[in-house]
Amino acid sequence: MIELKGVCKSYGLYEVLKGIDAEVARGEVVVICGPSGSGKSTLIRTVNRLEEIGSGSISCDGNNIHRPMPAKELNRLRSRIGFVFQSFNLFPHLSAIENIAMSPIRVKGVSRDAAYAKATQLLERVGLTEKANAYPGQLSGGQQQRVAIARALAMEPPVMLFDEPTSALDPEMVGEVLSVIKGLAADGMTMMCVTHEMGFARDVADRVWFIDQGQIVESAPPEEFFSRPQTTRAQRFLSELRH
Amino acid sequence: MISDIIAIIRDYWLLLLIGQYPNGPLGGLAATLILSVLAIAFAFPVSIALALARLSKSPFLNWPVTALVYFTRGVPLLMLILWGYFLVPLATGANVPSFLTMLVTLVVYQGAFLSEVVRGGVVALGHGQMEAARALGHSYLGAMRYVILPQALYNVIPSIISVFVSTIKDTTLGYVINVPDLTFAASQINNQLLTQPFQVFFILAAVYYVICWSLTRVAVATEGRITRKRAGTVPLQTAKSLKLAALTDQPS
Ligand SMILES: Nc1ncnc2c1ncn2[C@@H]1O[C@H](COP(=O)(O)OP(=O)(O)OP(=O)(O)O)[C@@H](O)[C@H]1O
Ligand SMILES: [Mg+2]
Repeated sequence: MIELKGVCKSYGLYEVLKGIDAEVARGEVVVICGPSGSGKSTLIRTVNRLEEIGSGSISCDGNNIHRPMPAKELNRLRSRIGFVFQSFNLFPHLSAIENIAMSPIRVKGVSRDAAYAKATQLLERVGLTEKANAYPGQLSGGQQQRVAIARALAMEPPVMLFDEPTSALDPEMVGEVLSVIKGLAADGMTMMCVTHEMGFARDVADRVWFIDQGQIVESAPPEEFFSRPQTTRAQRFLSELRH
Repeated sequence: MISDIIAIIRDYWLLLLIGQYPNGPLGGLAATLILSVLAIAFAFPVSIALALARLSKSPFLNWPVTALVYFTRGVPLLMLILWGYFLVPLATGANVPSFLTMLVTLVVYQGAFLSEVVRGGVVALGHGQMEAARALGHSYLGAMRYVILPQALYNVIPSIISVFVSTIKDTTLGYVINVPDLTFAASQINNQLLTQPFQVFFILAAVYYVICWSLTRVAVATEGRITRKRAGTVPLQTAKSLKLAALTDQPS
């Protein structure tokens, strides 16, 4: 469903991604991990073209995301790839339900009633029915991130991308967000998730990509990756993580 | 002294209110208010358009507006007014009413100033909001319209008010090109009385003060209403200091 071929990217002289070749199948959940600065965020942000790439190609559902195309076309493709940020990025001037309903109305032209009905359902799905009219400033981090997930889901994307969705959260709120993401996985959503939550990776991931210095160094099912990492870099990373 | 002022108001209130109208053009306070309202009403959307142009990556949009902003920043408003007054008829042969010259000059001048305020508000928001909107499929302008500007404009309300207030004050400069506004009426009265400039101009100052003060009150009330609507997004502390800033800020 998502296909990365020879993806390279540099910031000036610094090569962040050095030829990424990988694939995510429909319904597959891929967890991306690796040391800080290895290029995880950059990689996942190239998939919906929040970052441009230097060379290579990325296709989603057969559409080459990085080909030259009119802005309209790119917007349409982007709306079909959900993205959840580490820092939530909810719209602070809109209430929770407005955050969720606004883009379907303004981007897809969904009617107000349909968008709010859908938003109400999504709020229920992330367990925040009673917070529909709360503004982001009145919500805890975990609640904000759940609204952000609902906001992305409102566009009905076949793919969801997560960039460290829980690392800005207090430990006691991590679970509530991860369980929402687990629910999505159970429903068969195709997902890429940058995270260091290894328990989550074990439970949910079909595959773990270990990235170091701009390359996918290992790609394996979680049980294999965690019990028998092949490279010394992955071994070192995992042992540091356990400490 | 106070009786002088009362006497002036009693004798000249109609001139102060509407100028020579209906025997001449509408003037006095009415002209000042109309000029102010129109200038603000046009300068505001113009400033947003200019700010968007300056934020744009396209040099065709960016360069001319940047030049305009630097130009208006560096040239006194009075200069622009005089140029407009003398040069536009020379260049075009058209007989432009001084009221219109004044209005256009104010819109360009204050629009350019205000555009910097708006741009500052947008830049201060940071990338996160724009990225979130784009990731949801919004176009650049859609993201501006529904996500960025509603926040950015709200955050710079105090500075916007400052520009509005100085727009009102700047309408007084129309006097030099004979725009028959309140200032013009007051100076006519002064020329007739000759002996009471302090009293005449005291009335003038008081009226401008009331207008500007009312605008500030309206703006603070509007801001308060938005703040209450978004309750929880703005801590009480910030809300309070915003209001104070609204009363003290000068446009830079
Ligand atoms: N806009 C930028 N300009 C220059 N260098 C950048 C930019 N963004 C990221 N980098 C560099 O690219 C490298 C990869 O960054 P990236 O954010 O993808 O890492 P990461 O794996 O997500 O790290 P972390 O775990 O800390 O989030 C880092 O060395 C970073 O300094
Ligand atoms: Mg990162």
